[in-house]
Amino acid sequence: MAASVRLLVRRLARLSHKKITSSAATVSCRPGCCLGPSSSRCISDTAEDRSTHFGFEKVPEAEKAKRVYKVFENVAQKYDVMNDAMSLGVHRLWKDMLLHVMHPQPGARLLDVAGGTGDISFRFLDYILYQQERRKRRAAASSQTPSWQDISDKYPTEDRPQESRAVVCDINKEMLKVGKQRADSMGITSGLSWVVGDAEELPFDDDQFDIYTIAFGIRNVTHIDQTLQEALRVLKPGGRFMCLEFSKVTNPVLAKLYDVYSFQVIPVLGEVIAGDWKSYQYLVESIRKFPDQEEFKGMIEDTGFFCVQYFNFTGGVVALHSGFKL
Amino acid sequence: MAALLRGLRAGRLLRGLSSGKTVVAAPTSTTLQCSSLRRGFHCAALRLNDESKSDKHSASSSYSSSSSSSTTHDAYTSQQDFDPSSGDQEQDEEYETEEQLQARILTAALEFVPLHGWSMEAISAGAEAVGLSSASTGMFTNGAGDLVLHFISQCNSNLTEILAEQHNQVQLGQVEPKKTADFLRDAVETRLRMYIPYMESWPQAMSILLLPHNIPDSLKHLSTMVDDIWYYAGDRSTDMNWYTKRAVLTGLYNSTELVMLQDSSPDFQDTWTFLDNRIQDVTNMAVTAKQMQLTGEAVAQGLMGAAVTLKNLTGLNQKR
Repeated sequence: MAASVRLLVRRLARLSHKKITSSAATVSCRPGCCLGPSSSRCISDTAEDRSTHFGFEKVPEAEKAKRVYKVFENVAQKYDVMNDAMSLGVHRLWKDMLLHVMHPQPGARLLDVAGGTGDISFRFLDYILYQQERRKRRAAASSQTPSWQDISDKYPTEDRPQESRAVVCDINKEMLKVGKQRADSMGITSGLSWVVGDAEELPFDDDQFDIYTIAFGIRNVTHIDQTLQEALRVLKPGGRFMCLEFSKVTNPVLAKLYDVYSFQVIPVLGEVIAGDWKSYQYLVESIRKFPDQEEFKGMIEDTGFFCVQYFNFTGGVVALHSGFKL
Repeated sequence: MAALLRGLRAGRLLRGLSSGKTVVAAPTSTTLQCSSLRRGFHCAALRLNDESKSDKHSASSSYSSSSSSSTTHDAYTSQQDFDPSSGDQEQDEEYETEEQLQARILTAALEFVPLHGWSMEAISAGAEAVGLSSASTGMFTNGAGDLVLHFISQCNSNLTEILAEQHNQVQLGQVEPKKTADFLRDAVETRLRMYIPYMESWPQAMSILLLPHNIPDSLKHLSTMVDDIWYYAGDRSTDMNWYTKRAVLTGLYNSTELVMLQDSSPDFQDTWTFLDNRIQDVTNMAVTAKQMQLTGEAVAQGLMGAAVTLKNLTGLNQKR
């Protein structure tokens, strides 16, 4: 009993020590991972010399991807449970809001990057199905007896150009495995594909997708600007980029509570439920390292998206950024 | 008054341009430059064409002012052309590009209104017709309201063009100037005829315009239209008449529109008859009001005379 308490106390001490040292290191590790001023360094430095942030740690860029992979490999099995526990179920509301803002039309193709366990894709397919059923019901209500036209339309046709499709892309095979299991248990058979791919180098052709979403994934990539450029590439003209991510809380009182909750409660939950303190420590630290709403909006605009706007949820805990490829 | 409104409109456009600078940053990558250039020329040509945004695809006369590059205009005629050059992009061109693009999508969506009604489905069909993905409908946060308001403003600009054209002809002496009643009648009829292709779904559009968040915009469109009509009718009043005239025309227009909704006569003859009768009423009212005023004065004078006579008779009027 005393030993575990000592362990916890030591971990907390290490954590607070990390916070103090990392705040000094933030200034130095910034140029390594952002656009603009680092262009001169690109010529001289190699990937090993350039460093980026992994939570509050400073790591070489080449290593970050590997470490992120390991983090998600560890948490994959308990990912959904932990999401519910950490956010007290509110993450479902955030994802529902994402779909509501997206308002996909039937026939749209979705690319869900860092989709992992497939939350967004399942909601997307449900939304489209619901819309189609609503339309059918409305059409049926307006016409008393179906005409021969309606009956012939109901017969399945050879090619269905209006079929909506969702592609879940993730760099981590474990997360995709969990997602596939979920899909099987939910009974979804068509309209869903699972692809292993790196968000910075997507294995798709240009102009393929109507909607690109990345939910709670973009803070884990090594080069955010490359990810944004890949998003621009694979989207069709008129396509929409949507990014749901943790962001800066605007209310100072809420910010203090959120900080306490993030650093004191979440890693403990991670240890208790998933048996992995470090991964959840990385999670809350990576949230702090991610640019805030306005800065990220600027990055999206710089990449070439138009009509960029963001919506704050839960007082800024989560922000939804949206941009169009026009 | 209309000139003042026109100035306000121009000011609004300029304000929109300056606020647009915060929305779109200067492009940096070359692919962006190409696509922006392509659209830049497209929108530059459009901007030169007209303020009223009615004629979108006609070739324009030479555009020489703000763009510093010397490439040709061929870039805007085909969307596939990329014409890379070292012209620098102005931020206000980008801003207008987004608006112009939205306007283009909405104009294309109007064709699908008879099929889908005034709804997001029509807008997404319009986006696909223009060549964009259906996800671009997310740009229209007001949904069907955007579509209806766009249509209304398009009709208003068309009307203004027609009235300006007639005004020019009168000025050049080619056509006799019409009387006010006839002018109003023709203007309202022209304007209402623009609704005929969408008559089946017009009640839906009207109900969308009456939604609380759309009321300011729809009132604004209505008032600018009424003001334009009176301006071209020759009204330059600066007193209470300004308000009464516009109120009268607004009532006229709204009532005729409602009659048109449930009119099933050929070519809406009943509606135009109704319009004639209402304008007759208004003219009669003006005459009657004048007559009443004169009568009132006469009656008042008569009463005054009778009172003085009475006072004389009873001897109260004598000065002692």
